[in-house]
Amino acid sequence: MTETKLHQNQTSLFYKDLLFAWTSRILKARYQQSVLGGFWAILQPLATVLIFTTVFSFFLKVDTGDIPYIVFSYTAMVPWILFSSSINDMVESIVQNMNLVSKIYFPREILVVSALLARVVDFFIAYIILIILMIIFKIQIQLVVWLFLPVIILVELAFALGIGLIASALNAFYRDIRHLFVLLLQLWLYATPIIYPVSFVPEKWQFLYQLNPMVGIIEAYRSVMLHSSLPGTSFLVSALIAVIVLIIGYLFFKKVEVQFADII
Amino acid sequence: MLPTIEVQNVSKKYRIGKAPLSLRSLVNFRNQKNQYHWAVKEVDFSLYPGQALGIIGPNGAGKTTILKLLSKVTFPSSGKINMNGRFSALIELGAGFHPELTGRENIFLNGTILGMRKQEIQTRFDEIVDFAGIGKFLDTPVKRYSSGMYARLGFSVAAHIDPDILLVDEVLAVGDMAFQKKCYDRMVDLIKKGTTLIFVSHNMRAIQKVCSECIVMYRGNPAFQGPTADATAEYSNILREAATTYNDIGENISDGIGQRIMTHAAVINNVELLRENQQTAYTFESGESVSVRFRVDFHEEAPHPIFACMIRTPDGQKVYDYTTEWAQISTPNFEANSSRLIEFKLKLNLAPGTYQLGVNMAYHDLSKYYDRIDRALDFVMTSNTGSRGITDLQAVFNILPNPTE
Repeated sequence: MTETKLHQNQTSLFYKDLLFAWTSRILKARYQQSVLGGFWAILQPLATVLIFTTVFSFFLKVDTGDIPYIVFSYTAMVPWILFSSSINDMVESIVQNMNLVSKIYFPREILVVSALLARVVDFFIAYIILIILMIIFKIQIQLVVWLFLPVIILVELAFALGIGLIASALNAFYRDIRHLFVLLLQLWLYATPIIYPVSFVPEKWQFLYQLNPMVGIIEAYRSVMLHSSLPGTSFLVSALIAVIVLIIGYLFFKKVEVQFADII
Repeated sequence: MLPTIEVQNVSKKYRIGKAPLSLRSLVNFRNQKNQYHWAVKEVDFSLYPGQALGIIGPNGAGKTTILKLLSKVTFPSSGKINMNGRFSALIELGAGFHPELTGRENIFLNGTILGMRKQEIQTRFDEIVDFAGIGKFLDTPVKRYSSGMYARLGFSVAAHIDPDILLVDEVLAVGDMAFQKKCYDRMVDLIKKGTTLIFVSHNMRAIQKVCSECIVMYRGNPAFQGPTADATAEYSNILREAATTYNDIGENISDGIGQRIMTHAAVINNVELLRENQQTAYTFESGESVSVRFRVDFHEEAPHPIFACMIRTPDGQKVYDYTTEWAQISTPNFEANSSRLIEFKLKLNLAPGTYQLGVNMAYHDLSKYYDRIDRALDFVMTSNTGSRGITDLQAVFNILPNPTE
């Protein structure tokens, strides 16, 4: 029989400080020796959006209603980059810190959650630019609807974390997973209405398309930020899937984490 | 009173062979037969507050696995571990240090990894900095630290946790003597305050400084358990027993303990270390004259072979290497189906510690080995002359009058 009992002091709550310390370590290390520092959090989505804006406003016209294309795509690009870059970071989080994992005990999910939180900081910095863009393009701002924004962010984070927990654990066993996810996220970008509106997808494919939880999440960002309306039913489906994925991810991670130190 | 640590019949096995690091090995899993290696077998002990246990043994004996099991980095394959109290493990100095971050930032980072609350670190911050002696460099990135400063800071954080249970690996080998002494003193202090300490080392002297009780590990098994004073003698007994069983195995051995390469044209048997009184021994006084003796059975003719013996530290560092080739000794032609005793006389000017003796016999043109045993046996050196390191240069200390007076 195998049994290991943890002392009460060393429960997850006790490691709250570690979570913050590790998150700030990631952030400090990321921007320490760069001249522009946190400004990169803005530059990356902005540059990507400018490229797409050039393509879709001048060469291939995309109809985005009364919302200028740049605002339309930036609103979605920032949450998308939160999703994709946090997953890429989370996938690597266990393997990169193997020297700690194999020597010191602490809840391993801290490494994964910190990787996610560090990207959330980038997300908020980048979203400030959105507000500036909205003011420039005179888009109506309804602050009351914005109160819904935290819910959307939480759903997106839950979904990303669920995937991150599964992927980081698998990556500890099979290093192929990180390459797989780089590829997967590239395809996923095009399967999500970031650079085009949902209406571009033919009617007969809509049902299949909506099964992608990111569709509901991205559309929810747009309706709250740009159309001053509450998210549609597809967001509820996304939220449900997100919670299920998070639960499965956590259970899976906890089940295999005991093996991490043995497989180096 | 409840024991702070209860280890009941704990064993741990590892799978030998390549870990499945790519999908390809997953696909081929049917072709792989899993072989297991018992890193630790049936370890059993209980410790109460204020007790200190030393775990000693040569490399690969399972010492580090025990520490990993206690610190819950890995889990036992069978058995039960109960820890009642807050524990801290000093297994790697400066765990989680980031080179770009300053000393101050890394203290908080390292402290929280080891299980301290942020406010606890704040209250002890000055003590930690003071103990490490890095005051001036507190706001310098640790990548600019010397390795000594780095290690001092790492130990200092860990030593200020005030745990109920402290696990210490051989991390104290770093740093200068003054700092090492400070570390030992700190450990003794903690024990007096009621901390339960487990100290792992292959250095008996270090263990004697802090532990009254000791477990001697050999090949995953607890070979001796009892007072540290008795453990020294037992340790050399165990090394002797291990050496005899090792010689009995004979065939090609590659078990991680020592590697043997042989051709069967000539075979080395019964490697022994003898005192001047012709008694086999495994513990020697520094400066003692000894004979390394072994029997060679020649199954085929061996023209002018080269004989060699070498001594290594447990870390694998070569202390001494001697061959008849370098000494320009020409050996005779040995006939097939004969046996000879080979002897090297050595003066063991070695500092206290554990050493490994290896012997081998090579073809006259050095094209290959007849037989080579890298770790024929282990022996222990003791000394009262105050030498440390790996050699004993037998210093004689004098204070001479000033020649100008």
